[in-house]
Amino acid sequence: MSAPRPAGQRLDHHTLEKYENIWFGIATVMALFLFVTVLASFFSGTYPSLTGEGGHHITGVKNGRLNPKNFAATPFATPGLRQNADGTYEAFVVAKAFQFEPAVLKVPVGRPVTIHVTSADVLHGYYIEGTNINATAIPGQVTSFTTTFRRPGTLNLICNEYCGTGHHNMINSVKVEVQEP
Amino acid sequence: MTTSPGFSPAPQPKSAQAPQPASSSHSARQAPVIADAAYLASLKKVTQYYLVTAFLALLVGTLMGPLQALNYGGINVYDNPILKALLKSYYQGLSLHGVLNALVFTQFFISGFLLYLPARDLGMKINMKFAWFTYVLMTAGLLTAAVPLLTNDATLLYTFYPPMEGSPVFYIGAAVMVGSSLLVVGQVVNMWMRWKRANPGSVTPLVAFMSVATWMMWAVAALGIVTEVVFLLIPWSLGWVAGVDPLISKTLFWWTGHAIVYFWVLPAYIAWYAFLPNHAGGRIVSEPLVRLTFVMFLLNSTPVGLHHQYADPNISVTWKTMHMFLTFLIAIPSLLTAFSVAASLEDAARARGGRGLFGWMLKLPWGRPTFSAPVLAMVSFILGGAGGIVNASSTFAPVIHNTAWIPGHFHITVGTATTLTFMGISLWLIPHLTGKRMPSVRLASAAVWTWFVGMMVFALGMHWQGLYGVPRRALVSATAQSVYRDMPIAIPQLLTAISGVILLVSAVLYFYVLFRMLLSKRVDDGEVSSPIPYSEVISPAGTKLAGASALVRYTEPLLALWGVALLLVLLMYGPVLARLFANAELVPGWRLY
Repeated sequence: MSAPRPAGQRLDHHTLEKYENIWFGIATVMALFLFVTVLASFFSGTYPSLTGEGGHHITGVKNGRLNPKNFAATPFATPGLRQNADGTYEAFVVAKAFQFEPAVLKVPVGRPVTIHVTSADVLHGYYIEGTNINATAIPGQVTSFTTTFRRPGTLNLICNEYCGTGHHNMINSVKVEVQEP
Repeated sequence: MTTSPGFSPAPQPKSAQAPQPASSSHSARQAPVIADAAYLASLKKVTQYYLVTAFLALLVGTLMGPLQALNYGGINVYDNPILKALLKSYYQGLSLHGVLNALVFTQFFISGFLLYLPARDLGMKINMKFAWFTYVLMTAGLLTAAVPLLTNDATLLYTFYPPMEGSPVFYIGAAVMVGSSLLVVGQVVNMWMRWKRANPGSVTPLVAFMSVATWMMWAVAALGIVTEVVFLLIPWSLGWVAGVDPLISKTLFWWTGHAIVYFWVLPAYIAWYAFLPNHAGGRIVSEPLVRLTFVMFLLNSTPVGLHHQYADPNISVTWKTMHMFLTFLIAIPSLLTAFSVAASLEDAARARGGRGLFGWMLKLPWGRPTFSAPVLAMVSFILGGAGGIVNASSTFAPVIHNTAWIPGHFHITVGTATTLTFMGISLWLIPHLTGKRMPSVRLASAAVWTWFVGMMVFALGMHWQGLYGVPRRALVSATAQSVYRDMPIAIPQLLTAISGVILLVSAVLYFYVLFRMLLSKRVDDGEVSSPIPYSEVISPAGTKLAGASALVRYTEPLLALWGVALLLVLLMYGPVLARLFANAELVPGWRLY
């Protein structure tokens, strides 16, 4: 500023500069705080993050990719839930216009299940109503994530990625069942 | 006038003069006079052509909107025989709505607005043949892409994710249209560099600075979509290659797809920073701060796109998290903007005798549409920006990803922050360009307010439905299953349906005013009756680099900063794309519409 300003009524450079700096500080701290809270929820496990490259151990799947015309070579040939020798659960789901296979995916309550999803044609969405399970099904690729269903019941499984004229009817379900002892 | 309690000036004991409120202001810029009348007329004409083409696209796109709002109100109108003759499906209407409003309207408006502003601000002569060639090429691209859209041969929605396949004509037209915007980049950057050579040691004037930074940002951003369409989708749709990798395409799309929202909103920021203080009767707060804001956008707008892909496999969580961090950082320049522009408004209101912590707001000229449009757009953007933070958080995103929340979000960002600002700009820019007059301030004002209210109601209804998991862009009103009938969403559905009606009224009002204006006779010299509304400044950047503040000197070398922006994008996208290309899995195309 050149000339000294009188104590006028309107906003002036010095006052504004001070407030600007304070606000810049607040904005920066807010952005960093957001980032830290998101990282915290990674560690607390509230977020079912997708694994980087899905299903690397699955027959016929390499680097998270598979040949969409040759499901026969993979477990996606017979979609559904299976229990591995070590007792863990894995589910294989194929999305295609305009339904999921299996139409009703049965999963055990209270047990971690790793779900692998792929598509037989175009992009589809894999969204389970009332949960934060929300993933993309891509032809030629496998989307994998692990989750635990805490309550028994039937949940709607909704395709939420545009897949053609029948998109809005592409709704199936996940049935969370109490295990027979 | 009274002393402002919120902003009492720092004590200045030496000052013994009587209070002189405006003594610390710096007068509004006087742009250089352009003496060549024929050149100026041609420059104004090409700008007007861009604007009118933009608003014609908005007209068609907007008229589809209420049909979609009714869909989310639970009312399916797509079986109506008249409508069926025009639109094959909801999805075709939605594709038109998205492409025309989000891609065509914005790009044409910005290409005119941000070509004209720097040319006038710098007083430079540009090659008008090249400017007209660019306009004609962009329009040819638009018309080419429009054909398959209208014949249901490109019902791909505006994201056109492969392997859903459209006619090659659509991809070629879109490439020509988007590619033409890079010619505008070239012309504006060239103009600025010629000005720099002719004015060594000078500080670029603010409006030109913001325009050049915006175009540079867009050039970096556009590389993704141009690469996707030209090298992947066109060869694939023509059958030259057997397949396409959907994830590579989607990643390149969002390289551009998030930065494009800053390409849409930065021209609105230019109007908020440079012209809104004038409309309000206030002053620009700080030119150096504005320059910092735009440099932050130039550097940081693009390497954030992976936050659109949290739901996608085969991209590492580490990279997604880095993009998330950069996305949070890009909120900072927007927060600075909120501060600066709000201070300009408070300054204006107190100059008019406004008082109180919030009472000053009542003194603003709310009935003047050139003022109310950008201010209501800003109010909308505060809410939209807050929602955007939710979308960008990888922990929140799975709750709202691909739900009705998302269109709720972007109708109060691009649909209001950008669109309503552009509508407000048209109300002074078209009189400026043509010498015609706004036919009715009252109707224009009603259009602005109904747009704002309609979009607020729409956003409330859609965000609310999204939280229940209603998917975005789906014909939910005709879903065979009872899922949506079973959800407790009657109130948000009603709100959404009502908003469609309000917005239809608003659109009718606005387009009536616009076309009445355009079709009226020239009565004024636009330079006199509606000059470019430059504002007074509290803290200017100065005109000479020598002696300018550090902030001004470090923000001036835009070419170098442009290089840094490109480097940052390559760093943040290079490893991700390299891995995707190494593991590419090509799949065939499908046409399921």
